[in-house]
Amino acid sequence: MFNVRFAARMASPVRILTAVPICDGHDSAINTINLEFIRHGIEVVYLGFHRYAGDIVRAAIQEDVGAIGISSYNGGHIDFFAEVVRQLRRQGAGDIAVFGGGGGTITPDDAKIMQRQGVDQIFFAGTSLAAMADYVRKHYGKPRKKRPAKSRSDLVLARELTAIEDAYAGQGRLKQPKSQKASARNSKVIGFTGPGGAGKTTLIDELVLRFLQNEPQARIAILSHDPSVIGEGALLGDRATMINSQHDRVFMRSMATRGQAGGLSPATESCLTRLTKADFDYVIIETVGTGQEALPFRSKLIDQTVLVMNPDYGARLQLQKIVMLDVADIVVVNKTDLDRAKAALSEIEHRLTQNKRKQELVATVAKRHRDPGVDELYEMITASSKGDKK
Amino acid sequence: MSKLGAVVESVEKHEKFVLEQVKRARSDTKFGREMTERWNKIKGGIPIGRAPTGLPLPRLALPEIDEPGEIARYLFGDGLPGEFPYLNGAYREMYLEPLEEIEIGSYRKSPNGKNGPSAKSNGAKPKVIPQEEPTRLFSGLMLAEDTNKRFHFLSAHQRSKRLSTAFDGPTLYGIDSDAEGVMGKVGEGGVAVDTVEDMVRLYDGFEVGAPNFSASMTISGPAPIIMAMYIAAAKRRFGPKVVPNLRGTIQADIFKEVQAQNETIFPTEASLRFLCDMIEWTTEQMPRWYPVSISGYHIGEAGSTPVQQAAYTLSNGFAYAEMLAARGVPVDQFAPRLSFFLDCGLDVEYIALSRVSRKIWAIGMRDVFGASPRGQMFKLHTQTSGRSLIAAEFKNNLTRTAAELMLAYMNGTNSCHSNSADEPFTTPSEEWIRLAAHGQAILLEESGIFKHTMNMLSGSPGMKAVERAVEKAILEEFREIESLGGVMGAVENRYQRSQIQNAAHRYEQQIYDGTRPVVGLTRYRDPNEEPPEIELARTPRKRQQLQVNRLKRFKKTNAGKADKALRKLAAVVESGENTFPALLEAAEVCSLGQITGCLQELVGHFRPMV
Ligand code: B12
Repeated sequence: MFNVRFAARMASPVRILTAVPICDGHDSAINTINLEFIRHGIEVVYLGFHRYAGDIVRAAIQEDVGAIGISSYNGGHIDFFAEVVRQLRRQGAGDIAVFGGGGGTITPDDAKIMQRQGVDQIFFAGTSLAAMADYVRKHYGKPRKKRPAKSRSDLVLARELTAIEDAYAGQGRLKQPKSQKASARNSKVIGFTGPGGAGKTTLIDELVLRFLQNEPQARIAILSHDPSVIGEGALLGDRATMINSQHDRVFMRSMATRGQAGGLSPATESCLTRLTKADFDYVIIETVGTGQEALPFRSKLIDQTVLVMNPDYGARLQLQKIVMLDVADIVVVNKTDLDRAKAALSEIEHRLTQNKRKQELVATVAKRHRDPGVDELYEMITASSKGDKK
Repeated sequence: MSKLGAVVESVEKHEKFVLEQVKRARSDTKFGREMTERWNKIKGGIPIGRAPTGLPLPRLALPEIDEPGEIARYLFGDGLPGEFPYLNGAYREMYLEPLEEIEIGSYRKSPNGKNGPSAKSNGAKPKVIPQEEPTRLFSGLMLAEDTNKRFHFLSAHQRSKRLSTAFDGPTLYGIDSDAEGVMGKVGEGGVAVDTVEDMVRLYDGFEVGAPNFSASMTISGPAPIIMAMYIAAAKRRFGPKVVPNLRGTIQADIFKEVQAQNETIFPTEASLRFLCDMIEWTTEQMPRWYPVSISGYHIGEAGSTPVQQAAYTLSNGFAYAEMLAARGVPVDQFAPRLSFFLDCGLDVEYIALSRVSRKIWAIGMRDVFGASPRGQMFKLHTQTSGRSLIAAEFKNNLTRTAAELMLAYMNGTNSCHSNSADEPFTTPSEEWIRLAAHGQAILLEESGIFKHTMNMLSGSPGMKAVERAVEKAILEEFREIESLGGVMGAVENRYQRSQIQNAAHRYEQQIYDGTRPVVGLTRYRDPNEEPPEIELARTPRKRQQLQVNRLKRFKKTNAGKADKALRKLAAVVESGENTFPALLEAAEVCSLGQITGCLQELVGHFRPMV
């Protein structure tokens, strides 16, 4: 038994989700704990502070984590932890453990009540960081059981994605799945790439808002990537900043690259294949912030690639080296409220005309509410999708 | 370049200027003589008081120097208390007992900076204006009437009524108590305020327009809305004439929310706009109000180093000054109404952190923003460090807080909150909050450390060494922030957040690797310690339900009027005009959540940063 668990742990990092409850911004403890967990090889999906129980549970199911760690300081913890446990069970995800802490605000008496209500473990003030990391590695890295087929689709899908990731982790490179015929899939797949700091995550979240508003039935999947090294942990934090994507019609999965260069994970292609077979109208992939020469998307599954840039990309010389500028269908210059925006736009436009193929250029300020540039991007993406999926 | 780069230059220029004056005092005999004469005159004008034992002591202690260069270094580099660059204090006298006998005629200044009645040279006794107590205890629990009771308990024995208000989680996030999923948080960690009616209950029995009353409100994300509610409540109780007399502080500092406290509810730019609207309105209409408390406390408590705390706080302050100046608000209208709030923990930097902050602020405001003296003064509230207080053998927290209080007063803070020993567990019970208040009284009233002599502990060689090291490190941080495009640019790059997080991680690691000994936890631990008996302030479900019911009733009664007020507010927001007058109207008939919701609809939600 022990050996099996150990082997599984070697194969795939322990994966947990952490968050701070609604109306609570005490994130110092959880930030420190996140950093410590990653150092101990744990993959942490961090959902951020001021989070509703429902958002935490949805995220934990989609991310298929072994446990949820909650850091609560502003009181009401007995109710809040109980609500998380209750919702997990109601959705058939009672196998996800709930643990946490809140310094001295959670008393030993509270902890007893909470444990009776299904909380696994409370860490009191004065617990060393190493002790907590050890506990998590020991208890939350068990191999996952398959979920019964009659479970809700999110649950099944999430666990299948885990199985795919585990397979890659265990045996190194698997054979890439044969790419399917377009007819076999239901979704339009859009790939977003670009250098770090260009604002990809914000842009995607703003697009999601428009999908949700304009297409009341549409379901969207997001595969987002953060860098990690083999055998080490990762902080997967994109979810925390995506305010519009915390939605029942959005399925989001955060992936660590687990040592692969180029901005994607070894398991991305297979996960993507799986997602396109589900009932999503749109599947969005976001790469890690990439270097200028990288060409992350080689997949035939991708219908449209979007390169997101920041006006501060540097000297014109380097513009020539950005290979993605040749292959992107849409180039977004985000943060065009910055000084250099005008110059950047005309340089990039000039560069694109040399390519002599149909590429679109759009200027956005994604952080701005109701930004017309993002509206335009939304139009570009949806215009080409209606009926003409590649 | 943002103005921060100019601030760095101005501080460096000032240091150079001081050195030049030192040299000149040594080489230019006429100037040197002037220095010596000025010095002798200052010394000669210092009144002598007596300790209870009869020991005569000067009201102001000065270094024992008589060499013109050193005099110049002191007068230009440090300044007397109340004089540029205010290293030794924003005011001439602080914490001192009223002077019974004046042996040498001199003038005094009351702590609000105005000239006090001058002692007549014929030796007549000056009329003594009792100073305000600097003690200010942050409190808030359950519903408005419960906090009101706590306020009366705390201020019963104070000459001046200085109330400091803590709000509960939903209020801090601009959410109504009847919103889904927040019930358990209502009245926890602070008071629940949803409407103007709660605001009326909160300060019931206090004359909010009286000169000896001031209220401070610790809230930032929805601060303009809460400010409007406070004004609306004051008007309900005392009529519209009360408005210009209102005294107090609202925290309202958005930058530190984005960097450390995490209570921003609108996108940063929109939050800053609402804030500046409020500052512009209040600095015109409420000249005794401090509409922003630029805070390092939360940065420090989130785990930053003391230097990061001071550097981020000061740079945030300069960024506000830059924004307000850019909007066309005259510097002498806003600068005197900016106030500061710093943390004080046990790290050695705290020996001089606030002293250096005061100096940098003064130089920057004078030389970069052209502020007059009242706008150069760094008016400071300090809170002892909550994070330094721990659960294990928690009664030791009394000693920790006492040491921190000592540091805070050595730094010349203008007001101070001392944490209760039960800090790690709960909103304090009356027992522990009483001891916390008494700690300050013991230090300031019982002991002779601060009440006889200004500068009693200023300027030791060690303190000077810390000052110098800290100042250098703060300027280094300023340069880094400037290189990222100033405060806004650095914020967008997550610079401050990531620096704070790394420092916090290191801090916790150092506790467990022994670098930072913690008594009762990693040293001298009692192996048999049992969990302590602590009286917890938890809001009973029935009280929470009462708050919800009251709010629902308010919403029903005001439904029609609320709609109208919100439509008007929306129009003003879209028009780009100052939103504060429309907020004032809305606050009469709308709940906090209704106003927040209306604004979020228009400007969006804050996008949290990791
Ligand atoms: C730091 C702090 C702040 C900082 C927070 C900065 C930040 N970004 O986090 C600031 C100053 C901003 C702040 C503000 C407020 N605070 Co505060 N704050 C604290 C303080 C001093 C320390 C908490 C802390 O981070 N400790 C460091 C961590 C690492 O150690 P620890 O708490 O002992 O936790 C250990 C374990 O429990 C474990 N752990 C913790 N969480 C988790 C999670 C997981 C998954 C795991 C495995 C382990 C674990 O890790 C630690 C390891 O030893 C406490 C009092 C205290 N001394 O504890 C008050 C305290 C928590 N705050 C309190 C309050 C009320 C507030 C405010 C609401 C005040 C107000 N009305 O304005 C605001 C709200 C802020 C917000 N946005 O929500 C109250 C809560 C009272 C209650 N629940 O009844 C406390 C208890 C103080 C008090 N007595 O009043 N606060």
